[in-house]
Amino acid sequence: MRWLMGFVCVGVLLAFVGQAQILRIAFDAADLKTLDPHYAAATMDRAVVDMLFNGLVRYRPGDITVFEPDLAESWEVSTDGLTWTFHLRRGVQVHPFPGAPEGYELTSEDVVFSLHKAADKDRSAYAGEYVGMRFEAVDPYTVRIILDKALSPSLFLPKVADYAGGFIVPKGPYEALGPRFATNPVGTGPFQFAEYVPTQKVRLVRNDRYFRGAPLLAGVEVWYVPDVTARLSALVTGEVHMIEGVREQAWVEAVKRMSGVVVDVFGPGETEVLHLNMSKDPVSDLRVRQAIAYALSREEVITAIGPDVAEPLCAAVPPYLAGGLACAEVAEKGLLYETNLELARNLLAAAGYPNGFEISAYITERASYRKPFENVQAQLARVGIRLNITVVDHSSFHTLIRQDVNPLVHYEAWRPSADAFLTRFYHSASIVVTGAKPDTNFSHVTAVDGLIEAARYELDPARQAELWKEAQVKLLEELASYPLYVLKFVFARSEKVDYGYELKSSLALYPQVTELTRLK
Amino acid sequence: MVRYTVRRLLVAFPTLLAVYTLVFLFVRVAPGDPAVAALGDYASAEAVQALRERMGLTAPLWIQYGRTLAGYLRDLGRSLITDVPVGQQVATALPHTLELTFAGIVIGAILGIPTGILTAVRRNRLPDYMGRTLALVGLSIPAFYLGILLILGFAVRLRWFPVMGAGPFSDVSANLRHLALPALTLGIIMTSFVTRMTRSCLLNVLREDYVRTGRAKGLRERTVVYLHALRNALIPVVSVLGIQAAVLIGDSVMTEIVFSRPGLGRLMVQAMMQRDYIALQGLIVIYGALVVLVNLLTDLSYGLIDPRVRYE
Repeated sequence: MRWLMGFVCVGVLLAFVGQAQILRIAFDAADLKTLDPHYAAATMDRAVVDMLFNGLVRYRPGDITVFEPDLAESWEVSTDGLTWTFHLRRGVQVHPFPGAPEGYELTSEDVVFSLHKAADKDRSAYAGEYVGMRFEAVDPYTVRIILDKALSPSLFLPKVADYAGGFIVPKGPYEALGPRFATNPVGTGPFQFAEYVPTQKVRLVRNDRYFRGAPLLAGVEVWYVPDVTARLSALVTGEVHMIEGVREQAWVEAVKRMSGVVVDVFGPGETEVLHLNMSKDPVSDLRVRQAIAYALSREEVITAIGPDVAEPLCAAVPPYLAGGLACAEVAEKGLLYETNLELARNLLAAAGYPNGFEISAYITERASYRKPFENVQAQLARVGIRLNITVVDHSSFHTLIRQDVNPLVHYEAWRPSADAFLTRFYHSASIVVTGAKPDTNFSHVTAVDGLIEAARYELDPARQAELWKEAQVKLLEELASYPLYVLKFVFARSEKVDYGYELKSSLALYPQVTELTRLK
Repeated sequence: MVRYTVRRLLVAFPTLLAVYTLVFLFVRVAPGDPAVAALGDYASAEAVQALRERMGLTAPLWIQYGRTLAGYLRDLGRSLITDVPVGQQVATALPHTLELTFAGIVIGAILGIPTGILTAVRRNRLPDYMGRTLALVGLSIPAFYLGILLILGFAVRLRWFPVMGAGPFSDVSANLRHLALPALTLGIIMTSFVTRMTRSCLLNVLREDYVRTGRAKGLRERTVVYLHALRNALIPVVSVLGIQAAVLIGDSVMTEIVFSRPGLGRLMVQAMMQRDYIALQGLIVIYGALVVLVNLLTDLSYGLIDPRVRYE
């Protein structure tokens, strides 16, 4: 009898411990969109994907400035920079799935399959990143990637890292599950998919055979809680351990005052930039764009948003990326356009608008776009520029700005490299509607194509960074855009959550949950 | 009554087809692109175009209409974003919405009818003033605000109920604990409607000649009110309950969002935000069908309350 009671007690204790080690995270979302890593773009989807899949290399958890081995334990590049060879870790197990209840060992065949998938526009949203690449399985544990044109490590490695198309989707489960893969994902990560309850949650369980060792957590639940009050209440009551916060000063300060709750504000954040449409009068006149720049105060906008969550951005590429330009460097070049209302009025008068002018623009209802744009509206009014704003829903906004209707476009974005920032926003091929590959060049600038292309294929990192900086200086001279600030990510967590690493920045857009994350 | 029911159900089909067709056209007129919504702004224009083709959005409108209608008849279509059959999504969400709506109506009826009677029979006295004031407050307060107040009071401060989610139907206790606050949110609003309606209907009936006759022949006041007056007064109340049930199914959207409950409302808002045309068409027709059904049930219930009602 005593033995029986002992078993019961131990069972209850184990059940309790197991229950306690389920980490619950609430995201600002109504539901998932897709858990296919080659399509996942929204924060809540990137988070789940991050826990389920690996790349050949990975950004160090908590610090995106360092690459370290992931599925590949080592790699080398040929002297001509055209061939990258990756040596895979042995014994990496694919999670179980229908058809392989024990999973199987990941080999080069899976990696090559995944890279082909990532490069296929019908099976990936990131196909454009893999143009001009060939993939070969040399042997079961060696993968070779051959480039048409050599790329520097800072441009190549992000394509095979644990981000977007770089996540390795194993061949077996993808083919076995077909379209169901998007809601039944199977990878090699520290956690494996267990259940999806539509509009409610995704449940993940520990992958005991994870190659870095079994995770400390028994599982993770990702909850979809679109209302911020409900998320915060759930954190306070202990129903969840971590929540996606609000990227506003007032919220951060209020939550910081709560006992037992820690607020994490981390990078890399998203750039908030005012693009000036040079194809539309009167913004087409350089003097008008200069007047706009001199009328604006980036510090005023940052004060409104909050210095804890917003950092000044003075050029097209944020300074923490290779080739980024810091505000001090911009100031040295004399291109800060510090607020000068008198000069702004004079420039407007010289351009033929002594009484200012009136323009209209659409903005999304999302606060992170709308609030700074309304602040810009108020600042421009001081020099007689009357900006009429029409607020529309987010989806409509994206459609409208891509139809080139706005003279000023406020855009929030994160891109993984200086090349991606400059190509997508400032290369002539990316001009909305009329570009060869219409994308997000809202300003219609054409002056930096040569510099962007020269930098892309430059192998000397120092020279490459110089070319990127040169392009940004030219953009500031042309005033294709007025960079405002970098908006950081905000999460709140119970003080019981120990990430297992120091959080400075995360490309997964949430504080990553790894095999070392635990509940204290 | 059977012929009446069958006839009403048959008339519902063209109504729902019209709803489907109008929604099909309207959602495509609205700006926004499901492919952009699905892929996010990082995706290239090529990727967006490829997905748009895969979603079938580049085909002529009449072909899209034919395809989506065929898909709808099969399994209510498949979500453009997640590729999950809409029928499967509805099957998961609908029981939660119906449970919430039903609980709201039950709370509304249980609290609202007695309060309405009390305010009517104690007209212009303290219970009347109190009942009317509370009903006015209940009507004025938005569901999302009331929900937040209940969360702060009963979940955050007292820790009696959970904040988010819906308990599984297999676990009755957990299910009811999760249901309590959302149901109370809708129930309080419903109570206000029912209180005001019961009061005004009962006051009208209490002025009727037959009520005066009953009192004149010496019937007890309780018998006059409960046996003779209330039954007649309840017909418009039931009618309001029916209309409100349909409204509540729609109103549950905010409650579902505040309490993070799965449900039709949340599915619909999500489909709207993402321009998930297929899911949106399917869900709105389901809503339409529910409204038709609730109206039919309301009409049929009149006969139970008043035997004079005939279904020709």
